[in-house]
Formats: sequence, C-alpha cells, structure tokens
Amino acid sequence: MSTGSPAAGSAGAGSVVGSTGRLGRGSAVLAFVLVQVIVFALAYTAGRTGLYVFFALGSAATVGYLSHRGWFAVAAASLGAILLIAVGLPIVMFVARQQPSLVIEKALSTEVHRMLYLSIYGPLLAALFTVVFGTPLAYLLSEGFPGDTLIESLVDLPLVVPHSVAGLVILFGFGGGGAFPSVLVLGTMIGLVLAMAFVSAPFAVNVIREAFETVDAQMEYAARVHGANRFETFRRVTFPLSARSVVTGGVLAWARAVSEFGAVAVVAYNVQFFYPPAGGTITGQHAPVFIFNTYTAGSLAESSAVGFILLVVSVLIFLLIRWLAYGEDDTSASAMP
Amino acid sequence: MTLDVDIAARFTATGAEPFVIDVAFAVEEGESLVILGPSGSGKTVVLETIAGFHPSKGTIENSDRDLTDLPSEERGFGFVFQDYALFPHMTVRENVAFGARYHEDVRGPETVLAELGVADLADRTPPTLSGGEAQRVALARSLAVGPEAFLLDEPLSALDVPTQQALRDDVADLLTDATAVYVTHNRTTARAIADRIAIMRNGELVQTDTPETIFEQPASPFVARFTGANCLPLDALGEFGEDLAEGFGNEAATHVAIRPEHVELNPEASDLETTVRRCTREDATNRLVLSLPAATEPVASGSSKPIGARSTDGGQRVEKGQDLTIEAFADRTPESGTGIGVSFPREHLTLLDNSDNQDDPAGEIE
Repeated sequence: MSTGSPAAGSAGAGSVVGSTGRLGRGSAVLAFVLVQVIVFALAYTAGRTGLYVFFALGSAATVGYLSHRGWFAVAAASLGAILLIAVGLPIVMFVARQQPSLVIEKALSTEVHRMLYLSIYGPLLAALFTVVFGTPLAYLLSEGFPGDTLIESLVDLPLVVPHSVAGLVILFGFGGGGAFPSVLVLGTMIGLVLAMAFVSAPFAVNVIREAFETVDAQMEYAARVHGANRFETFRRVTFPLSARSVVTGGVLAWARAVSEFGAVAVVAYNVQFFYPPAGGTITGQHAPVFIFNTYTAGSLAESSAVGFILLVVSVLIFLLIRWLAYGEDDTSASAMP
Repeated sequence: MTLDVDIAARFTATGAEPFVIDVAFAVEEGESLVILGPSGSGKTVVLETIAGFHPSKGTIENSDRDLTDLPSEERGFGFVFQDYALFPHMTVRENVAFGARYHEDVRGPETVLAELGVADLADRTPPTLSGGEAQRVALARSLAVGPEAFLLDEPLSALDVPTQQALRDDVADLLTDATAVYVTHNRTTARAIADRIAIMRNGELVQTDTPETIFEQPASPFVARFTGANCLPLDALGEFGEDLAEGFGNEAATHVAIRPEHVELNPEASDLETTVRRCTREDATNRLVLSLPAATEPVASGSSKPIGARSTDGGQRVEKGQDLTIEAFADRTPESGTGIGVSFPREHLTLLDNSDNQDDPAGEIE
C-alpha cells in the first residue's frame, strides 16, 4: 500500500520543529504545511512548479538539520524527500489541474453514480466474503497446524501473481469449462467478487491472523481452564480482543478491491448488476475499468475528472483505515500493566 | 479431591535443546503441594500440563476420574497465573463471573470479591488495577467456579515485596482446606503455603517431603543450597570434616549441610575458626557471611547469595582461591575482619553425598 506520504512526512517534520522552536507541535506542523501550500500555489500559478521541488528539498534538509543536527540527518531528509516528492507531487498536481466544472458535471452524471455504486458495493461483497471465510482460516493459522506454512504461502500467493493473470485464473477455475459450469462468471457480479476476493484475501487474512497471534496465550488458557471450550474461548476472548483488527482487515480488503483493475478487467470488464435506483439490472463498469475505458476512448480530461472522484473515495477509505488502525481507545490484546 | 499426577513430556523450541519433564506426585484432599525450584526447572510447564494446556504422556487423575484425555475446560481446576491473565475487555465483575455459565456450583462475583477484600473493584477494568489488586481479582475468578483443586503459577512473583507479604498470608488462608499445587521459586513463600514441598530441578522432582524435612534434612547438596542452607564440602573442612564423616558413620558423605539459624557463634568449643566478611542487617537479625581459611582446591560455598536471585540453579560457582563461606545469624553486628569461632550442633547437621550430581565431580551445580 502506498501509505501516503505527504501527510506522514509533514507530521514527522512538525514534531521536529516543535521540539526546537517556541511553537507547539500542532502549530508547527500547521505552519510548515501552510508554507508549503503557499509556495506551491505561487510556483504553480507562475507556471514554474519545478521551482517548488527545490524549495521542498530545501525545507526537508532544513528540518533534518533542525531535528538532529549533522550532515547525516540532512542527507537522510533530502533523500527521503525525493521519494515523497515522486509520490506526493503527482497527486497534488493531479488535484490542482482538474477542471472543477468538469468534475462537478461528472459527479452529477448517472453514469458515474452507477460506477461508484458498483465500485463500493462490489468490493464490500468481496471484503465480506474474505472476512467471513478468512477469519476462521486466520484463526487456524494463528494456532498453527501441520502444513500451516504451506497454507500461508497459498494465502500470500495472490500478492505476487500479476493481476491480469489472477483474472485468467478465476476464469479458468470458475468460468466456462471450470469447476461449476452452471455458474456464470464472465461479466457477472459473482465473477467480479471472486476476482476481487482473489487479490484482496491476503490482506484480510494476514491482518486478522496477526491480531489473533498477538492475543496472549495465557488469556486463552485462563478462559479454557475456567470452563470455556474452544469456541467459547474464541467467541468471548480471542475474537473480542482482535475485533478491531478484523474490521481493519475487512476495510483493507475493501480498499484493495476498490482499486483492483487487472483481474476485474479480465473477468468482468462489463458487469451486469442490480442497481436499485434504476429498479433493475444494468450493465456498468468497475471504477478503475471505467476510467481506463474513458481514457482509451480518447478523453484525458474526462477520465481524470472521474479519476479525481475515485481518488476522493479512496482517500476517505484510507482515512477510515488509519482511524481504525491507530484510533484512540485501543483495547486490543495485552493491555495489562 | 485427591490428585494423582504421573506425566512425562518433551518440549522442543526451535534452536533450543529439547526440554524434558518427567514427574510423579500425589496431592491429598485439602493438601497444598508446593513445587519449589529454580527458574527454568520446568515447574510452570508441569502445572500447565496438569491443566491441559500441553499434551503429555502418562496419567493425571483425581479422586473419581481420569483427567488425562479431558480438555482443560472439563478438568475442574482453578488456575492463577503469574501475570494475572485477566481479560482486559471485561470489567472485574465480568472477569470473576467468566466461568459461571460453565459450572454448576458457582459463587457470585460480589461474594468472592468481598472475601478477598476487593469488592470495591467490581466495576473497574483490569488495566486500571495495581498488581496486587489484579492478582486478587484473578484469585477471585478461579475461586468463583468452585474448582476441585487450585493450580497457582508463581502468583506473587510479579508483585512488590509488601504486596507479596500481604497476599501471601491471604493465599495461605485461602488454601488451608483446599487441594492445591502451587509453583514458586521463593522458599519463604513455599514454607508459608506448603503442607508438602517438592523440589524440582531440570524437569524432575528431586525431593518431596514436609517443609520441616526439606529444610532441616535436605536430601542432596542441591536441595540444601536451594533452600538456603550452608552446604560445605567435607574435604575442605580438614580434620573437622573427617571427624564428622566418622562420627556419623557415613564414609560416603561428601558434604555437610546446616541452616544458618543453627550455626552457633562463639561457642565454648568451636568447630571452626572463621572471619567476618560481611554483616547485613535484616528485619530482626543480622545476617553474617563468615569466611573460612582459603581452601586449596576450588570448592562450592554455602549459599552466600539469596536464593530469590534469579540464578538458574540455586547453587553458586566458586572461583579458585575464593574463600569458603558460612552464613549465620547474629544479634550483634561484628566488624568485618573480626575472628569468630563457630560450632555446628550435631542434631542440626545433615551429611550428604553428591549422588544427584554425578555429572559434576566438583560437587558444584551449574
């Protein structure tokens, strides 16, 4: 995941400035961000965005120096900033270069509404699928069993399979001539969900397994010896202590499915799905496919406007994950003094 | 109920030597058996195996049924963990009531908490409790299910000393009529709790007896040192050593053991002449460490180190040339370097041979 970068970068920088200056930590971050925004805006309106890059590198080096003194901190901060710029700058430019009127027009179009509905609903089904069936698997993996490393590798395999190949795999497995000839996969919701589940399952299973593993074994012993059988121990102790991570795993799987292009493009380029506002089944495309389709049809501006809308949705999901993973009131696992 | 345990198990961790336990003991109805041994001797593993957390060979039986193949939840034990193992997502009340739905003769959480003097904690959550409070709640949790026997795994060792002492008395009261197996490395705790003590070393029980016998008549140099007795090699005591072996008619004896409290200072006729090396004030007495004239061979000393310290064996290696030391208690505080004669009242002496240390000819415990 491209756990992003500009925000994290400036937060780190802020703590640093805050520790040296008279400003509080929060206001230091805010001041730093504000300065960056103003300089970027000036450079952008002057048509010399490249100049901002040098300013950003300079500020990174300064922050590096202020935080730790010495050439090593300056070098590390400058080199790190290059990566941040490579990731962050295009995103900022992408947002800055949108035509607001076109974005609004697209945001109001039925076509895009249908796309967004499919792109949130389909991944939700996929995430639900991976969590419902991935949680028991994650539990077994956390307990360990003969051959568990083999199963772990199988779970991780989709991470290295090219996604277009993943799509082909789904088609060969469940499509025409596959295991269930009567089930239609090509261009259906089932196919879409299967393709998404294939690529997102590792995220859910791994996060949930790690959560189960962090639960203190003595906690489970204590439950068992005082009368709870395996299931009751899971229901009353292991699961509640890992619930937050199960949700996080689900949201990660959801986010992964939302952004999936390759596998979906092969299995369900055009998808038949039930769309409540239309009161019936319609044909539409999953957002990344839709955007690619618009792009190849020749309109960069239109596809980027839709892309911007998808980016906003993705950022919202990302914030949700951050909140779930690092939010307050973390009671997960060994919270004993 | 009575409890009959005869188990053997082998534990392998990656990158470590396999660890083997092989123990057999019985606990009578209402009896508290304390398994006393150094860290790493396998005490906790024995307890966890009895509770059913680990598979093992052998049998575990109580008075009316065979527990060997039952899952933990059907064995009828109450278990108290060193680190409390309270459920952090439940209130204290919910923790104590945890097992209620699985048992018939349960006691209400309020009643049990009140009995342990922590009724006011019922609505708190475990992360807000002090160590002593948490362990009382953990005790209440195991008490509430009306267990047939208690298994306690060093329940005091994570606590500070004043809390330990207060809780130790309460645990002793609690276990007066209960059947219990209590694991600890602390000999003071063992003595306070135990009806019988089993000394554990390297996965095996080396002596099982009443506290009096364990402390006054240790069966081996290891037990003597681990329970805090002076254990001196006879051949380092010169003529006195030879006389002892002869006097007791025990030519095979290699060591003599005597508890510090039995060593007499400045008697009319002393057995050995020593020098005060150190004098430490302890609660109501002074603990003396006395040096004997340097032995020619490296020898094991008496326990000049408190056993509570985390050594893996309870013994101590003595470097070549280091003095042999004797511990004793005194009312006065003699200066370091003062000469003191000591005598060993014969009725408190135990002569030992080194049979449990065959692998270690020097009689030292590693």
